[in-house]
Amino acid sequence: MNHATVRAATPYGFLLPALVLTALVILYPVVQTVWYSVQDYILYAPDDARFVGFRNYAAALRDEVFWISLGHSAVWVGGIVFAQLALGLATALLLNQSFWWRGLARALVIIPWALPSVIIGLMWTWIYDYNTGVLNDILIRMGVISQPFPWLASPATALGCVMLALVWQGFPFFAVMILAGLQTVPRELYEAAEIDGATAFRQFVHITAPGIAGIVATAVLLRIIWVANSLDVILVMTGGGPGYATHTLPLYAFLRAYSGMEFGSAAALALLLTVMLLAIVWLYVTRQARELDA
Amino acid sequence: MTKGTKGPDGSRLKPAEIGTLGRRTFLQLAGASALAGGLARPAHAQAQTTVRWWYHYDNPQNTPAALVAQFEAANPGIKIQAEAIPWGGGTDYINRMFSSVVAGNQPDCAMVRLSYLSRFAQMKALEPLDGMLAKWDAKSDISDDVWKLNRAPDGKQYYMPLHYVVIYLYYRQDLFEQAGLQPPKTFDEFLGAAKALTKDGMFGYGMRGGAGAHDNWGPFVLGGGGSFEKGGLLTEKALAANRWFIELATKHKVVPPSAPTDAFRQIVDSFKAGRTGMTIHHIGSAAEVVGALGDKASAVPLPRAADGGGWTYFGDESNAIFSASKNKEAAFRWISFLSSGEANVEQAKLSGQLPITTSGVKSWTGHPKRFVDASFASLPIARTLPDSVKTPDFVGRVLPTNMQRALTGEINPDDLMKAVDQLFNG
Repeated sequence: MNHATVRAATPYGFLLPALVLTALVILYPVVQTVWYSVQDYILYAPDDARFVGFRNYAAALRDEVFWISLGHSAVWVGGIVFAQLALGLATALLLNQSFWWRGLARALVIIPWALPSVIIGLMWTWIYDYNTGVLNDILIRMGVISQPFPWLASPATALGCVMLALVWQGFPFFAVMILAGLQTVPRELYEAAEIDGATAFRQFVHITAPGIAGIVATAVLLRIIWVANSLDVILVMTGGGPGYATHTLPLYAFLRAYSGMEFGSAAALALLLTVMLLAIVWLYVTRQARELDA
Repeated sequence: MTKGTKGPDGSRLKPAEIGTLGRRTFLQLAGASALAGGLARPAHAQAQTTVRWWYHYDNPQNTPAALVAQFEAANPGIKIQAEAIPWGGGTDYINRMFSSVVAGNQPDCAMVRLSYLSRFAQMKALEPLDGMLAKWDAKSDISDDVWKLNRAPDGKQYYMPLHYVVIYLYYRQDLFEQAGLQPPKTFDEFLGAAKALTKDGMFGYGMRGGAGAHDNWGPFVLGGGGSFEKGGLLTEKALAANRWFIELATKHKVVPPSAPTDAFRQIVDSFKAGRTGMTIHHIGSAAEVVGALGDKASAVPLPRAADGGGWTYFGDESNAIFSASKNKEAAFRWISFLSSGEANVEQAKLSGQLPITTSGVKSWTGHPKRFVDASFASLPIARTLPDSVKTPDFVGRVLPTNMQRALTGEINPDDLMKAVDQLFNG
């Protein structure tokens, strides 16, 4: 092997461990999921598995619960990411001001993000509890309602209530990301704008917003992927109920896999979600590549 | 199509016969003497064998450490690795168990329920115990009815009975007395009592619509004439029984509005807090109910339909050995120890359930007598769920989801019955 070949191969040698690891922990499960999705694979009857082509996908598209779950997923992702962004932006702007306990406030705001999802699910379940929940207690004391309300047992409110728990958990992510972005905006720009007579609102629109746009876009794309995939808080708080009121696509796939043990159908459901998310992933990867090139 | 459990003569039992234990059996259980003490001793010691055992207790603070220590002292060659697996309404436990079997990482033995048996059989996951049971002296300390109940459709014995519960009706006897009511014996009396108790922020009946909903739905719908046989849930009688049950929430409003998602914790806490006058559970929650309410709480068998029909859930718990285990003999020693004499009594205390041995029942002081009596008196109508691969999906997904939709008015009660029938017979 000549020197030039070794030199050309060296970068691939360095990449090899990462590629092997990625193939093992990501590529292999993905291929296996694709393989399951074209089989009638029931976990308790693995020997009876047979190839069925795209029948699982066709069945999913004919399934009423798939469309209900897909609709909920859209509301779930759109609502949560928007609310987290709005709350995170407001928090970051506040934490970017000067006040004597700013350091403590920045540390405290991270707490919801640092808590395990199961703890958050349980905590909010008890907040909403019909009999002993603090939310009903406060609203009754304030005279807003006269009787306790079954927040998680009512189809009209259950999804919104679970979404609120996830908004609370995830807004610190945006706050911290945006705060980091805010600190990269040069102070001189604000001083110059002030001299030119720009109002606080115009300063936000023309200096702050463009300064943090890149980081917000990246955070939104990442969060869409994470929120679209998350099911742990729903599972703990409602298990998808009442009825299908809090069914999202990943939760439905999970229930089909672990309650019905229908791994073939569940794999098809999961892959349909993956295909939908690929557009977001493509946007994210393109952005990252552009930033690396810049 | 559901598979049937076979009777002692090998004939297939009708669902109504499955799981029924008569009062006579219990008198026999209570009348027997202590046979099992010391019978779990090893025939010979093995060299450093580790037995992995999966268990769950309703109270996660309970630990089998003392039983393990006792067993290991008597069996120096065997080490027990007891692993607590979260129950999660049954779904978590069963998911982990089936996943572990597929992954080849199953324990040597584990606590199991009859409703898993068909899936295990399909996976050929369990070891038949017949050979080992034939040589086990303490076998006779467990009633023949229990052995029959635990027998697989292929005639083999895969399960070692451990303890059991029967679902009954908790009621507030102080409030019943104040209202001049008697504990309900019929569905109509139940509705009458529930209406009378529903006032001033209290609800007559704490219905369970979340995880574990089958033990509230079954007594009224299966007791009211429904069955899991093909079309058995779609007869006019069964549909009417189901409509009556759903109307407890939608028409009579004698259940809390949170009922559609209320599970074990919510129904027990509501009853303890005096928010409900009746609720349906088993003796496993008696200690905390008495701790909160003392003599104000009591229990009776679930009410029956006008034609005398009744149904309640027989909550079985057994141990089984996995066929992939390399330590089957040691595993059998451990599970037979747990089903014998004093160890079985201690195990029942940890689980909050009733001992399975005749001798254990005789000396049982683990619960106040009125709850033990209510359990025994419920046995004539005690049944198991169908022995079908679909049963876990019925318990974990199909019934709760559709019952919640019916309770919140999203679907017609009849659609709930069609969904369950479709699952088992579609």
